[in-house]
Amino acid sequence: MNEEFEQTPSPWKRRFLILLVITVVIPGFIGLLLLKRFGEDIPVDYASPVEHFKYGSTGGEHEMGFPYWIWKALPEVCPQYLPGKGYQSLGMVYEKKPDGSDRDLPIGTSQRRYQGVDRVFVNCAACHVSTVRTAANKPATIVLGMPAATFNMKGFEEFFFRCAADPKFSKEYILPEIEKQGANLDLLDRTLVYPIAIAIMRDRVLALAGRFDWVFKQREWGPGRVDTFNSAKVIFNFPMAHLDPKEFDAPADFPSIWRQRQRKEPKEMQLHWDGNNTTVEERNKSAAFGTGTTPPTIDIERIKRVEAWIMDAEPPQFSAFFPVDRGIAAQGAPIYQKYCATCHGASGSDFSGEYVGTVEPLAKIGTDRRRLDSYTTTLAVNQATLYAGYPWRFTHFQKTHGYANMPLDGLWLRAPYLHNGSVPSLRDLLEPAAKRPKAFYRGNDVYDPVKVGFVSNVTEAGGKKFFRLDTALPGNGNGGHEGKAYGTELSAGEKAALVEFLKTF
Amino acid sequence: MTTSCSCKTWLKYAALALAALAIIGGMIGYDRGFRPYPQPDWVTATPEMRFKYGSIGAENDAGVPYWIFYVLPRIFPEKLTQDGLVVPGGYASLGVSWEQGQELPIGFTQKTIGFARVANNCAVCHTTSYREKIDSNPVFVVGGSAHTTNVEGFFRYLIDCAKDPRFNADILMAEINRVTHLDWIDQLLYRFLIIPITKKRLLEREAQFAWIYRKDFPEWGRGRDDAMNLTKYFMIKAPMDDTFGPTDMPSVWNLKKYVWEKGHRMNYAGDSNDPYSVIMDSALGVLGAPPANKADFLDQVKWLKDYLSALPPPKYPFPINAARAAAGMTVFDAHCAACHASEKTGTPLPLADVGTDRGRLDSWNKGAAIKANQVVKEMGLERKGLVEEDLIGYVAPFLDGIWLKAPYLHNGSVPTLRDLLEPAARRPKLFWRGYDVYDQTKVGFVSDSPEAKRVGTRLDTASKGGSNQGHEFGTGLSASEKDALVEYLKTL
Repeated sequence: MNEEFEQTPSPWKRRFLILLVITVVIPGFIGLLLLKRFGEDIPVDYASPVEHFKYGSTGGEHEMGFPYWIWKALPEVCPQYLPGKGYQSLGMVYEKKPDGSDRDLPIGTSQRRYQGVDRVFVNCAACHVSTVRTAANKPATIVLGMPAATFNMKGFEEFFFRCAADPKFSKEYILPEIEKQGANLDLLDRTLVYPIAIAIMRDRVLALAGRFDWVFKQREWGPGRVDTFNSAKVIFNFPMAHLDPKEFDAPADFPSIWRQRQRKEPKEMQLHWDGNNTTVEERNKSAAFGTGTTPPTIDIERIKRVEAWIMDAEPPQFSAFFPVDRGIAAQGAPIYQKYCATCHGASGSDFSGEYVGTVEPLAKIGTDRRRLDSYTTTLAVNQATLYAGYPWRFTHFQKTHGYANMPLDGLWLRAPYLHNGSVPSLRDLLEPAAKRPKAFYRGNDVYDPVKVGFVSNVTEAGGKKFFRLDTALPGNGNGGHEGKAYGTELSAGEKAALVEFLKTF
Repeated sequence: MTTSCSCKTWLKYAALALAALAIIGGMIGYDRGFRPYPQPDWVTATPEMRFKYGSIGAENDAGVPYWIFYVLPRIFPEKLTQDGLVVPGGYASLGVSWEQGQELPIGFTQKTIGFARVANNCAVCHTTSYREKIDSNPVFVVGGSAHTTNVEGFFRYLIDCAKDPRFNADILMAEINRVTHLDWIDQLLYRFLIIPITKKRLLEREAQFAWIYRKDFPEWGRGRDDAMNLTKYFMIKAPMDDTFGPTDMPSVWNLKKYVWEKGHRMNYAGDSNDPYSVIMDSALGVLGAPPANKADFLDQVKWLKDYLSALPPPKYPFPINAARAAAGMTVFDAHCAACHASEKTGTPLPLADVGTDRGRLDSWNKGAAIKANQVVKEMGLERKGLVEEDLIGYVAPFLDGIWLKAPYLHNGSVPTLRDLLEPAARRPKLFWRGYDVYDQTKVGFVSDSPEAKRVGTRLDTASKGGSNQGHEFGTGLSASEKDALVEYLKTL
């Protein structure tokens, strides 16, 4: 029968083939194209660990990513919600291209193509990179791993919520801006993908606005600070309006993230300002929630690359920027050994010391209690449900009752000081609280090598207004870490020597 | 001939394929829907862990599918309330004892029967949380009264969620997909079976639990339950009456002290015969249905009886003034021992003699006991059971570990031992229950500090079932005698 069929081709065969092409082949082909276009999940990768730290993905773009062109367009669509031009005005750090212009995206943002759209969101570096200048007229040096001392995170969050609620957050305003920036979107993107993306994003940001409403009601964090654990309560959708008011107004400085191996070995230190977790990896995954990750969407493999890099990353030396008087520093060494070493480690690279990385009861340390009170047993037990069903479910969060003694690697770049960044310089920290500055300015990246800290008495520079931190406001108290044991009763000469020695950390 | 032959062959293959498909489908259905998996080893690593987290078989009927349980507080946070106020904190806001680092609170069990489910065991009502001071972490004592746990709040919460139109597959799946990755089989099961069935089952509870929504009854609040009405309305399906008998969750350590032959009876009103019966009946309450596996259930009850019989009462963990305690012992022997360290201890006393609130006594009766015994017997379970007699009053309790049994009296209407030694008129009329910072002076939990008011639930002693009257014994002692007596009671 088959032979016969082949010998005299029936018209039905042709018709069948045409039908097949129309009903199966063409739709299948289109389907494959669409699958390729919308089924991809491809992060932009960087071979070098350093580049990966700056621009690599944590997986946060899946859930939270902004379509690339919307990210680009928003500062122009909603300029009234930014303190100045572009994301730069929020203190995000842009590297320069060889021609001297800013790179396309700031450090601390990553890109991923997901569901047919290039997306952008923040990564670890957004909060752990900043700049230093040796003088106002000198160029900025980018320092990886230091606290993001200029980044205004509250302003960043509020910008998106305000813009999404603005009538201009619509395709009528955003699409022309995208075109203006030279996007050259193809037909599908222009007519379908981006209009839908704009609508979806608006809905999603507004849906989240309720959860972040509390942020608007907080006093300004200012650059370099975040209310970490009230933000963590949002993961669980705690009804924030009903929290005990004493849990709020708890901003804390972003930490530096160098030398993590030494915080893990030989003994695990109590990490976070209040020492509420002893596991580096768990702490990292917890922080990664801040980059938009969720348990099913986190990019474990790429987070591990960041983890590997911060294990042994080292801070730059003070002496590479400013001279250190070795003679005076040598005089400071024994003072440090006597007063500081058991709690803060033998040096900036040797973290041995009986109390290093352990929690000091609040009654002893006496610093502002709001950050401590923002972390509750209730939150700790809820955190133990995070990553349920995964081998890395959180098991180490513990409510503590004080603040942890930190190792001091790269101390000079970790100004302002104390967990809430309420004391501008090391020299000020060696004064009793009553004599520390009652108000000062944060966000300047010009360094003061004498007092050891960023310049804090300049209100604005280069068109940028700095943030006035008033230590009288809740959460900003500059008390504590004072008295004889804390070196505030040393002579002026001894203090100067101690500060000089600390420049070697 | 050949054609018909090939047809037959095809038919045969098709039937085979269909059968294979049915078998595979059935296997998957069994595996994902019903197949029991043992709990992980850490759960049974020690007897205490088993008591806290071990399944007693409640997951079969009363279990809530794990991922639904997980996402409810994220979707419906505003439904977690106490005293009419929203309380943030997920399930922790219900005051459950929750060890830091544990996935579930104490008394919550996770077991996979086809799919992971969450249910309860005895520890949810019988673990005490206390803290030395406001900035201490809690210590959990198994076998003690769960004075912080808002059981009614938990019952209501699940029902209230199910009643909300947002309790639907779209909204729940969206939240579940934010916290875990389910494969496509589980996605389908959750969307089309588990979520709708769970909603239906929880809604069925609303009718059964009608009395916990009664506006004319006060809330149980933290640490209390209306135990005998639970039994009446669930086990014997009695029609709702107007009785209300809230009581403290009792401590269940050292159960070997109860000797039936000496006339000892259990439960506050002496309504049950022995520990084995009480444990079985309580466990049936937690199961909410006849046991799916009777042999396993009997093993569990036996294990619990053995464990709790031998479990020692906790020692007072703070300093005791030995001299004062010695003086207090004399006072105790003269004024308390006749009931609390004698033949009478563990036996019911006539209500008129003690004069405490009668709500609990009135919430149970002989007829109910006979019916309940019948129901359990029909399940094929043997036990001495509930006392089929008219009840005369409350049992004179043993005082082992009395320091941790606050608040006091069967209905927890007196916050501290020191308060109990005052005449009823001078005991606190209003205080807050379920805050776990310990008061070493008055011996009990702090009950009226600003923190206690924020964390705890309000108890008005004028409310139904909440009277602090009666047991006006030793109230005429001198202040120093009272202090000495309280010091001595710390040693028990």
